[in-house]
Amino acid sequence: MKALDEGEKGAGKALTVKDLEKTYPQWRKEPTKAVDGISFSVDEGEIVGFLGPNGAGKTTTIKCICGLVEPTKGDIEIYGIDVVNDTRKAVSNTSAVLEGNRNIYWRLTTRENLEFFARLHGRSLKEAEPEIKDLLKRFDLQDREDMPARKLSRGMQQKLALSCALIRGTDFLLLDEPTLGLDVKTSKEMRAFVKQLTSNGGKTILLSSHDMNVVEDVCERVIIMNEGKILANDSVNNLKDIFNVHLYDFILKGEPKLSELKNKYEITDIHYENGKTKLRVSLKNSDSFYELVNHLQNKNVELEEVKNLDKNMEEIFMDVIERKGVIN
Amino acid sequence: MTMVGIFILFLLVFFGLRSFEAGTETLQGSIVGFAMWIFAVMAYSEMSWGLLQEARDGTLEQLYLTPSTFRRISAYRVFGSFIFQFILFITFLGIMMVVTGEYLSLNPGVIILISLTLLSVYGLGYIMGGLSLVFKKVQAGNQILQFLFILLLVLPTITDHQIIYFVPISWGNLMINRMMIDGLSLLDFTLFEYLILFANSFAYLIVGLFIFSLMEKAAKKRGLLGHY
Repeated sequence: MKALDEGEKGAGKALTVKDLEKTYPQWRKEPTKAVDGISFSVDEGEIVGFLGPNGAGKTTTIKCICGLVEPTKGDIEIYGIDVVNDTRKAVSNTSAVLEGNRNIYWRLTTRENLEFFARLHGRSLKEAEPEIKDLLKRFDLQDREDMPARKLSRGMQQKLALSCALIRGTDFLLLDEPTLGLDVKTSKEMRAFVKQLTSNGGKTILLSSHDMNVVEDVCERVIIMNEGKILANDSVNNLKDIFNVHLYDFILKGEPKLSELKNKYEITDIHYENGKTKLRVSLKNSDSFYELVNHLQNKNVELEEVKNLDKNMEEIFMDVIERKGVIN
Repeated sequence: MTMVGIFILFLLVFFGLRSFEAGTETLQGSIVGFAMWIFAVMAYSEMSWGLLQEARDGTLEQLYLTPSTFRRISAYRVFGSFIFQFILFITFLGIMMVVTGEYLSLNPGVIILISLTLLSVYGLGYIMGGLSLVFKKVQAGNQILQFLFILLLVLPTITDHQIIYFVPISWGNLMINRMMIDGLSLLDFTLFEYLILFANSFAYLIVGLFIFSLMEKAAKKRGLLGHY
């Protein structure tokens, strides 16, 4: 876990969380510690994934960031403004989509919802109108702009909820499970759009999701939480490097001599079948892969097929959770 | 549908009273009382029930994520709904007068008395709304309170004890009755009568806002804001 230096605070940071702790008082019961002294930051223009099993403390952390839950200890700053002492000012540049398709008024139409949330953030309708039109078009909601939100499909409602967060015109976005319950096509569209927001729109996003594919596809960095603590805070690629042993299956034509190969690489399995040799090789890093391919070529060994047995984000996530220790 | 049911209930009460040869003042009082009860219930529900609805739908949290304060947003909401409910009140009153044949004095000054009287109702709405943020079961008391409004509205006809100065809406309703039934104007009331109305209404509103603020803090501490 990367601790924050004092010098880092507010310098190009959209969000700074330091030693955040939240204990919920309980009537006649032991208090529950939901967040246990976590620290992390999000740079301006960055998109960070927030992962963890149920009860890990993700939602409490997100709600503390929004000023909806009062922390027991610690500091939270959004663009250098203290959330606890100056909530209104700090959240004025923040919008959030909490729990998928909620967050919108079901009796209002698509357009009325967009207009309401624009006005709620103090924007004039004249100023927001081009963006309203753009969001309706981008999310394919044009034909349904006069339809009450309750009549929209779940996917449409989620698109509208995200649009309502965007129409506020804030730089920092908190997205809690934005693709929950969406079909494959809509989820893909949503992911593409979220990526665009940081690359073209200059937004900063903290995204929590149970869907590892979403996190792997969309996020540059991942924070993994469990039992109120941060277990990992690193880029998706670094995490893959830490947890992947770079396992490959090589299928070679014929039965070539492998003694040199055995000395140089960690071969975990060899077997011969129908005039072919199948090798399972565990490599130290991705560079070793190219070395091995070159080696085979130099030895005139004909390579028929290579299969990458790397772990996906879901398997890495499970590894982090099962380790229960902080990943450095 | 609810309004139709309430209207049928009103007709039963009104024609029941008429069959017992009740006086004009009692009959007209039942019209004002019923219309005021509906208005009070709508105003109260806007704050208490409306807040619960927002919490259930997940929009309450969104109202906290603004450069404004929740109290300011709810004040705009109260103002907007007051105008809408006042139009309903006048419409309902008109229909009741036409159906019963009992015509009341509609002095424009009545809007001032109604606005002031309802401040205490909004205060109660803030109290119940705030309490229900933390104690979710409090909403069960909402319906009881709606019927308590009937008692508070008829209280001045039962007693002239000073208690009517202190409980919500009773004193205001008495002044509204005197304006609409006895034909008084705003200038016919004494300074003392206005003082009671102002003190009563603002006291409930201020206490309501204070309790709401305390409950809001408690809800943020316990992570209950928006949870339902």
